[in-house]
Amino acid sequence: MQKRVVFRSRLLPYLLVAPQIAVTVVFFFWPSYQALESSFFLEDAFGFSRQWVGLLNYTELFDDPGYLRSFRTTLIFGLSVAFLAMSLALALAVAANRVVRAATSYRTLLIWPYAVAPALAGVIWYFLMNPSLGIVAYWLQNAGVDWNHYVNGDQALLLVIVAAAWKQISYNFLFFLAGLQSIPRSLIEAAAIDRATPFQRFWTITFPLLTPTTFFLLVVNLVYAFFDTFALIHATTEGGPVDATSILVFRVYSTGFVGQDYGSSAAQSVILMALVIAMTIVQFRYVERKVVY
Amino acid sequence: MAELSITGLGKTYPGGVQAVEGVTAEIADGEFIVLVGPSGCGKSTILRMIAGLETITTGDLLIGDRRVNNLEPGDRDIAMVFQNYALYPHMTVRKNMEYGLKNEGLPRSEIDARIAEATRTLRLEDYLDRKPRQLSGGQRQRVAMGRAIVRDPKVFLFDEPLSNLDAKLRTQLRAELKALHKRLGATFVYVTHDQVEAMSLADRIIIMNAGRVEQIGLPMDLYLRPATRFVAEFIGSPAMNFVEGTVDPDRRSLAVNGSHSLRFAEPLPAEPGHKIALGIRPEHLTEVPAGALSMELEVDFIEQLGADTVVHGKLAGANSPLAVRLHGVQAGAAGSVVTLGCEMDNLHLFDLGTGQRLN
Repeated sequence: MQKRVVFRSRLLPYLLVAPQIAVTVVFFFWPSYQALESSFFLEDAFGFSRQWVGLLNYTELFDDPGYLRSFRTTLIFGLSVAFLAMSLALALAVAANRVVRAATSYRTLLIWPYAVAPALAGVIWYFLMNPSLGIVAYWLQNAGVDWNHYVNGDQALLLVIVAAAWKQISYNFLFFLAGLQSIPRSLIEAAAIDRATPFQRFWTITFPLLTPTTFFLLVVNLVYAFFDTFALIHATTEGGPVDATSILVFRVYSTGFVGQDYGSSAAQSVILMALVIAMTIVQFRYVERKVVY
Repeated sequence: MAELSITGLGKTYPGGVQAVEGVTAEIADGEFIVLVGPSGCGKSTILRMIAGLETITTGDLLIGDRRVNNLEPGDRDIAMVFQNYALYPHMTVRKNMEYGLKNEGLPRSEIDARIAEATRTLRLEDYLDRKPRQLSGGQRQRVAMGRAIVRDPKVFLFDEPLSNLDAKLRTQLRAELKALHKRLGATFVYVTHDQVEAMSLADRIIIMNAGRVEQIGLPMDLYLRPATRFVAEFIGSPAMNFVEGTVDPDRRSLAVNGSHSLRFAEPLPAEPGHKIALGIRPEHLTEVPAGALSMELEVDFIEQLGADTVVHGKLAGANSPLAVRLHGVQAGAAGSVVTLGCEMDNLHLFDLGTGQRLN
């Protein structure tokens, strides 16, 4: 139990939380309200006039095959990023957990990519994979893969998935490593005496015991892929070719700032907001209570 | 079931730390062997080498007639009970016990039969579907034993299995463990730092110090004829008293730091001029100044234990601490002087330098 602090003055506690509340209201509630409001209006490109249209912006969205495709793209993108980033991070964490010599420097190196800004990560991969000057693209072409993400939508999607996953590996790695280190060594030893092969030990003991970490990371990674990858996509594929990498967040931007359809852009933001809220509830419900094995 | 043969076993960690050195022991089939010693003496390392959890640097380890130095833990036909139980927290009691059997690829009927048998032995029937965290310490300990029993191994290894339990439960489980050993008739190797546990459980005790074996023997051998001063000090509670001094030319007295000396009725079995440590157990000192030796104790404080009274003080005229265990409830005041006696047979003489027994 935490000690409860009792204030003598009624004013002081409110004063203490006021800055946080002010920041939240100004930078979160107000824009959110603005988005919610403008999603019910049709506005001209220069903001001179607007007209109440009710749910029209929403109904149009769900009638738009492009928007529905964006949903699908986002889902594929999010799940792929989460799976790729988590499985690679887990493999690295398992390896790092076994390293005895120079363990700290090895771990530090693995954490570095997390310090790279998303846009920069995108640019790095953009150069590596660029069909005319990228080294990886060159290798791929030598290996007989005709790599050109400017033309091939699937390849473009693969590129942003790899770039987004690469950046998230470090974060996942840290959590998996911490999770692995909290598993008592004697459990693994007991399993070894119980004739389990290293492979069985991992899948029957280690992995189930990592469930809380895995679930937490799954939510975090999905949130990351859905909402924090705008800069990366903007710096590499700009949503293209032909919307192939246009995930929901990117679409909000392109509809609003490129297409200048503010109403529709606002409606899309509101839908994303609902998604964030839903995922947060899931996280609070299950992660905060901890997945019990 | 099998005998265990340990020859010249040694463990050196990378970095040069020598945890265990030249340990040799023959453990008979069905014997209950206790490895005992202070923390860091290498007893757990030996157990882990037998289990295959630590590599063996030097020496040979045979289970039955098979050299197992380089076998995986799972292939050595052993089972181990860990100090923290090491139950798989995400599995029920039943699944915990099944795990090893499934890995061995036993048929379902055999697995069920073995689990039924073990649960009956350990009275775990009501807990089979519970997770380890829903069990008390004692129950977890039983499950850990159950997991070992169902494997039907040649050798059971125990790594301080009772040290996380409270005193009462420890006594109870000690008795259960002894009974279990009798019923299974298997070879038990048991590590503990608790000499009471060692004395009460063991057929034979291996007592270790700083990576080496000090003495291997029956519990009563260790108590009555400790081979070294270390063993003498380690076994028995309160610990043995030591008076250090030089044997006089007539061998009938011991010069204790200069002026004071102890007189003996018979000559000491040590060379004149030899520096020795004279050991006497607190329970072998009597209030009757009879026997081979009489000495005076200056009382510092008294511990009333009910059945016994332990009087702590100093040897009068010298500075050696001295304790005596008297039967029943005894009164006494700090500062008073008590005259004590001891039989010749109960004297232990050790070389002051090497700590080896002289008589």
